[in-house]
Amino acid sequence: MMNRILLFGGIAVGALVQLFLPTWPMFGGIKPPVLAAFVLYYSLHRSPRGMWIAVFWAALLHDGLDLGGFGPALVGFPVIGVLAHRVRLEIFVDGLVTQTIFGALGAMLATLVAMVLYAVTGQRPFHFGYALLQIIGSGLLGMVVLPLVSLVMNKLEALLPKRRGYGWQ
Amino acid sequence: MLFRNKKLVYAATAGFLLIVAFVLPSSLSRKGKGAVRGVVAPAERGTAGLGRRLSEAVAAIRGMGGAVEKNRDLSHELVRVQARLNQLRDAEADNVRLRRAFKFHHQSPHSMIPCDVISRNISGWWNTVRIGKGSADGIQENHAVISSDGLVGKTIEVSKQTSEVLLVCDPAFRVSARIDRANVFGLVRGGGVNLKGHPVAQMDFIDKDTEVRVGDEVVTSGLSGEGGVSPKGVHIGYVEKVHRDASGLFQSAEIAPSATISLLDYVFVVSAGATEEAP
Repeated sequence: MMNRILLFGGIAVGALVQLFLPTWPMFGGIKPPVLAAFVLYYSLHRSPRGMWIAVFWAALLHDGLDLGGFGPALVGFPVIGVLAHRVRLEIFVDGLVTQTIFGALGAMLATLVAMVLYAVTGQRPFHFGYALLQIIGSGLLGMVVLPLVSLVMNKLEALLPKRRGYGWQ
Repeated sequence: MLFRNKKLVYAATAGFLLIVAFVLPSSLSRKGKGAVRGVVAPAERGTAGLGRRLSEAVAAIRGMGGAVEKNRDLSHELVRVQARLNQLRDAEADNVRLRRAFKFHHQSPHSMIPCDVISRNISGWWNTVRIGKGSADGIQENHAVISSDGLVGKTIEVSKQTSEVLLVCDPAFRVSARIDRANVFGLVRGGGVNLKGHPVAQMDFIDKDTEVRVGDEVVTSGLSGEGGVSPKGVHIGYVEKVHRDASGLFQSAEIAPSATISLLDYVFVVSAGATEEAP
């Protein structure tokens, strides 16, 4: 129960943080992908049910607070969630290198999905050079954000009261 | 048993998401967004208020640090007084800013709704800000948003408690404009943000035979489509560069929009019925 509250609260706070963070032109004007990092964190650490709850809650907040139709996060977050969840048992999920690589790949994939959706629906103009800058920029931001989010969430989860372990559980 | 077939679950999820992304009617999508924004709005307001207080505190600390460096030998009392003085200076600056906005509000012939900026865009894909008033306060879509520096943008996606403002520099922004000196019309559209972080816009369809000079003032023409409200004569920016259209039939001008906006700003939404000319 407390873990679920932390999931919902953490992602909501993550959305607020992402709202108030500035953008940097050298990263293609893309915001630091805090919500994508939460999706990756829960995909790497939780069961499929936990992952899907995190994916939909983060996507709902992201697309609900963004301009345009629902879609960029609602399509992008499940993709990165499912891909990360598939390999989570084959990697050391709490390693800094793993998180840096996954943070970069996840953010780049989310940006790519949003870019394709916006280009297909004609909502945003597409320029190859700027698109490349946005993908690389989001990757660099993701490299920094996921380790930070993981660190904070690990600390917060460690503070939660532990469930009593019964032998039969 | 059904949920054990992973391929089926993934296919169903993908289908559902694609339907939501591409087929969901915009009215339904807006209702959903309005609900999400309504829930998040109080937290946004609180965080924006906290940000304001934090920036005031940082300004006070900066001033105190400077005073300590300059007056290392002075007593703690003097430092405290200096910090207090800095706080008062910030309050004075804030007061001047608010008075300016208030005076602007009262001098302008337009009926305007004052609003505070509560957050930025969440993804960075759009050049927008969110203001803390919505349809419950009489705000409608496609109404001009202005500040004492000039045109900020226009309202778009208005929910009950909040409204999105599409900034002048967003590529989706369009407004009919006029070069004040030459009295020639054109269409201003956003050009995004350049690599230095400065917003840019472009004025297209300027008559090719009219002389346009660098530094000419660009103002709104007062013409607006889509049932919107755009007052006449509101400052947009100054011409920075002029070049001939690719077809050779028109001129284009690069414009630096004057009204840049931050989370600390107050803006005004021009309400319906305001079509008078600005002084």
